[in-house]
Amino acid sequence: MAGIASFLGRRLIKSVFILLAIVVINFLLVRAAPGDPAMVMAGEAGAADEQYVEQLREQFGLDRPLHEQLGIYVAGVATGDLGHSYRQQRPVWDLILDRLPPTLILTGCAFVLALTAGILLGTLAAMNVGRWSDSAITVLALLSYATPIYWVGLMLILLFSVQLGWLPSFGYESIGAGYAGWDRAVDVAEHLVLPAVTLGLFYMAVYARLTRASILEVRDMDFVKTARAKGLSETRIVFKHVLRNAILPVITFAGIQAGHLIGGSILIETVFAWPGIGRLAFDAVLQRDYQVLLGIFFVTSVMVIVFNILTDLLYSVVDPRIEVA
Amino acid sequence: MSNRLAFLRRLTASGAVAASLLASAAMVAAAAAPAMAQEQIQKGGTLSVIVQPEPPILVLGLNQQGPTQTVAGKIYEGLLRYDHDLSPMPGLAESWEVSPDGLTYTFKLRQDAKWHDGTPFTAKDVVFSTTEFLPEVHPRARANFSHVESVEAPDDHTVVFKLKQPFPAFLKAFEVSSAPMMPAHIYEDTDYKQNPKNATPIGTGPFKFDEWVKGSHIHLVKNEDYYLDGKPYLDDIYFRVIPDAASRALALETGEVDVSQYNDVEPFDVPRLEALPHLSMTTKGYEFVAPLSWIEINTREAPLDDKRFRQALAHALDREFIRDRIWFGLGRVATGPVNSVTPFHEPDVPQYEYDPQKAEALLDEMGLEPYADGVRAEITLTPMPYGETWARLAEYIKQAWGKIGVEVTLESTDVAGWVQKVSNWDYETTNDFVYQYGDPSLGVARTYISDNIRKGVMFSNTMGYSNPRVDELFAAAAVENDPAKREEQLSEAQKILVEDMPVIWLLEMEFPTFVNNRVHNAVSTAIGTSENFADVWVEKKK
Amino acid sequence: MNRDFWRAFARNRGAVLGLAILGVVVFCAVFAGVLYPQSPWDMATVPFQPPLSQDALLGSDTLGRDIAAGIVYGARVSLLIGLTSTAVALLIGVTLGAVAGYHGGRVDDAIMRFTELFQTIPNFVLAVVLVAIFTPSIANIVVAIAIVSWPPLARLARGEFMALRSREFVQAAVTAGQGTGTIILRQILPNSLSPIIVSASLMVATAILLESSLSFLGLGDPNVMSWGYMIGAARTVIRQAWWMSFFPGVAILLTVLALNLVGEGLNDALNPRLARKGRA
Repeated sequence: MAGIASFLGRRLIKSVFILLAIVVINFLLVRAAPGDPAMVMAGEAGAADEQYVEQLREQFGLDRPLHEQLGIYVAGVATGDLGHSYRQQRPVWDLILDRLPPTLILTGCAFVLALTAGILLGTLAAMNVGRWSDSAITVLALLSYATPIYWVGLMLILLFSVQLGWLPSFGYESIGAGYAGWDRAVDVAEHLVLPAVTLGLFYMAVYARLTRASILEVRDMDFVKTARAKGLSETRIVFKHVLRNAILPVITFAGIQAGHLIGGSILIETVFAWPGIGRLAFDAVLQRDYQVLLGIFFVTSVMVIVFNILTDLLYSVVDPRIEVA
Repeated sequence: MSNRLAFLRRLTASGAVAASLLASAAMVAAAAAPAMAQEQIQKGGTLSVIVQPEPPILVLGLNQQGPTQTVAGKIYEGLLRYDHDLSPMPGLAESWEVSPDGLTYTFKLRQDAKWHDGTPFTAKDVVFSTTEFLPEVHPRARANFSHVESVEAPDDHTVVFKLKQPFPAFLKAFEVSSAPMMPAHIYEDTDYKQNPKNATPIGTGPFKFDEWVKGSHIHLVKNEDYYLDGKPYLDDIYFRVIPDAASRALALETGEVDVSQYNDVEPFDVPRLEALPHLSMTTKGYEFVAPLSWIEINTREAPLDDKRFRQALAHALDREFIRDRIWFGLGRVATGPVNSVTPFHEPDVPQYEYDPQKAEALLDEMGLEPYADGVRAEITLTPMPYGETWARLAEYIKQAWGKIGVEVTLESTDVAGWVQKVSNWDYETTNDFVYQYGDPSLGVARTYISDNIRKGVMFSNTMGYSNPRVDELFAAAAVENDPAKREEQLSEAQKILVEDMPVIWLLEMEFPTFVNNRVHNAVSTAIGTSENFADVWVEKKK
Repeated sequence: MNRDFWRAFARNRGAVLGLAILGVVVFCAVFAGVLYPQSPWDMATVPFQPPLSQDALLGSDTLGRDIAAGIVYGARVSLLIGLTSTAVALLIGVTLGAVAGYHGGRVDDAIMRFTELFQTIPNFVLAVVLVAIFTPSIANIVVAIAIVSWPPLARLARGEFMALRSREFVQAAVTAGQGTGTIILRQILPNSLSPIIVSASLMVATAILLESSLSFLGLGDPNVMSWGYMIGAARTVIRQAWWMSFFPGVAILLTVLALNLVGEGLNDALNPRLARKGRA
């Protein structure tokens, strides 16, 4: 237990430095862009004059020297304040919190779906190496790996919403339907199916390939041979012995991917009008809403770090021989 | 055109001005009524409207972007409304009067209007809005009300504007987005932009703010205390944020939303949606903004500084192709700087028909001979990043100009970069569109007069065009009280502009407004779906 | 190595198929100008022509541009962006990974922290931001894709270099007084190439997908015809003109698939031990 605590401590300290570096780099990067938010707002208002633009700049502190703005921002982040959105007139933290649940639901479901289906398919393929089911799964994995996900999304909408009318085509829930409790959960779930499947499909392919390769790697190792010699059934061998060892690289990879899923959901959130953080990030880029963008970067980076630490911990659970180090 | 002129003459004629105005206002109101009378109005129900992109804030005085108007137009109101011919109709003002010398505007306010928090709406709010709030934060209103010498409230329901000099366009300045009435009791002596009440906007309109789920929807509910009896008919309105164009079209198709406006539906989807039995399409309701698309040219840069070059570029474009193939038939080929639905449009100007040979002849005349690879000149085009259709237009322009030996490099930017480049004159050509706001003195002159060459300011004279005669004509027309003289001045200005070609006018744009057939009266005025929707009612969903 | 390599490669039928598809794509890219002398941007025919029309084999788009011409020219851009961004990513990744793996200690630590930094930022978001900030052009898209793609290569190279660093032949070279640069380039790199080549071939595929995703969001270079752009432009008309997004989509799919197959073939051919197991 003490080992885990000190491991966590070290990881956290390291994480803080990484986060600080990310905050500084992002700040400088995003500010290197042409155009400032005051100009955009003035422009979009359809008419503007110097006074209006100056007012906006002053209001947002954009008239101060860059290093001062950076200092203020870093100090703010350190105290849990991610700043104020220029355009939306709200604290960035509020905006992100609003958008985070839909994204977490979407990416969470897609992740679980991808991991379960991927590992199952990968195992199935590895158990039947060279047979048609292996080929079929390999081809399926290859295809979903090679297809642009937004395209898959559009095709699924065409098929399941437009042609068959089985599932809603976009949005998070039926607005104005006044559902509550269980009905609402079902409603959200219906909206969730297509985006989650679309997003999950790509990662499923990745995990299936990884699992298959990893099982093949482990299959001929000595301990498996021993198990086989003991006369255990092949299924039991695979699930008890092989998979347990083969799954490690899959978990490592999935752990690293988990945080990135949020970035990957930009495309899906665009196609399905899913009111999540990915779409917020893209809008923020287009509108040069620096504070929001920096906030999203920060939050997603925190999530990646958290996922990485969790992955390491999980690693030690799955395989007790590995010390957390 | 002649109708509008006649109206304006009536406006300034002495004697029974107020009476005739009141009469015409009543006539307009009556004209809008029959559609309603034909069918039994059904009360109650929910309307679902697309709003895209999501507005940054709903306080109309602080932000006047299109989406903000769509939503906030139901919450806030102006003193006047305007019919499709841009004639004023009663809003928060039930009647108005213009003195014969064009210097005094007197508005009689409704006695029974209230803010959503129950406070009565009075002349004090009008004085506050037009002298304090709007001049401080609203660029367009600041320009309009700079003509005002004083604003007085002789009693709680009368407001008198005294102008420094005649400004006949002044009567167009009271549309809801141009001069939304803001509550004095909430904003007086506060920092308007930081006021905590901005999160829960309070207006006088038929609908009240209820909830805003960012990234998803905005919910407005019926104002039970609205001053017009029995109105509004609807129980509530949902404004749905749908970022993807294909999803928006689908939402209309499936009946998930009832109304779309502006660019919500991409032009290529228009014919398909129009054919659906449950949808109707109209291009009415944009008369106030009267958008005009054009190619802006930075006239400071060679060879763009030569008007023959600009004329050649104009001759190289097939604007009917642009209308038919890129906008799928929406819009009218523009002939000059004033949209033909705006008063004082001058049709008798030089024409720039599609004629690549003429274009090449003009380039030859300039001495721009083609090099071995056929290229005569190289310029850049920084397209407005406002979606698919504008990108298609830029691609077409590149090909069309390439055909006469003008090689175009497209410079891609996002909205922020584009605004930055164009407003700081760091561009050669760009395609975009401008609004006209009902009168050339409000929406047209600003982009051509040398006074308005202001670096860093978007939708000013970013072309850097300067012609003393044009300056003189626009300046004179702004303060000319005699409509006939005014027309003369504005016509001359238009003729000069079309000859000089500081911009290449492309189309008088038409936006498609789609309305589900179960919705009635969605478009009844010059601002279309930005109107307050007090008259809108829906048939129950079957 | 060569004959064995080809024999092993040829034994994998998928890899051969992939190579054949890739050959076709490269052919299109090289001879685009011969196949379609006119610019792919020319409004050559009537808009919305379905496939197999007289003057548009794969149909035409909203402005009457030939889809087939677009696909042929698009092959150029997709390959160009895929290959150059992978090359840039290799340059950054392998250099950093080699230095880290060879030197170990503080240098390794610093470089790995730096790599971790880039792996912590969600890479698609970063690519979107980079392209948006530096405005979309081929060069900027290539750089953005490279910047988000190099960390896995760096880790891979580091691992290989670390493993090989302590092997006898490297020690021998050190004792023989060879310079660090020489050892890295002459001794270790050739021996660690196989996994790097395999990863690189897969990375080209990822880069092509990434480019198409950027274009889909409207962040492509507007001056060149690319498959990503074509789908981006076609997605909104998908219901009127399925062919506009279908064929470029298939082009991407086939190319990415081919690269993956070739990558696997390379893997089999370069790691015979694993390959035999896979085929057993």
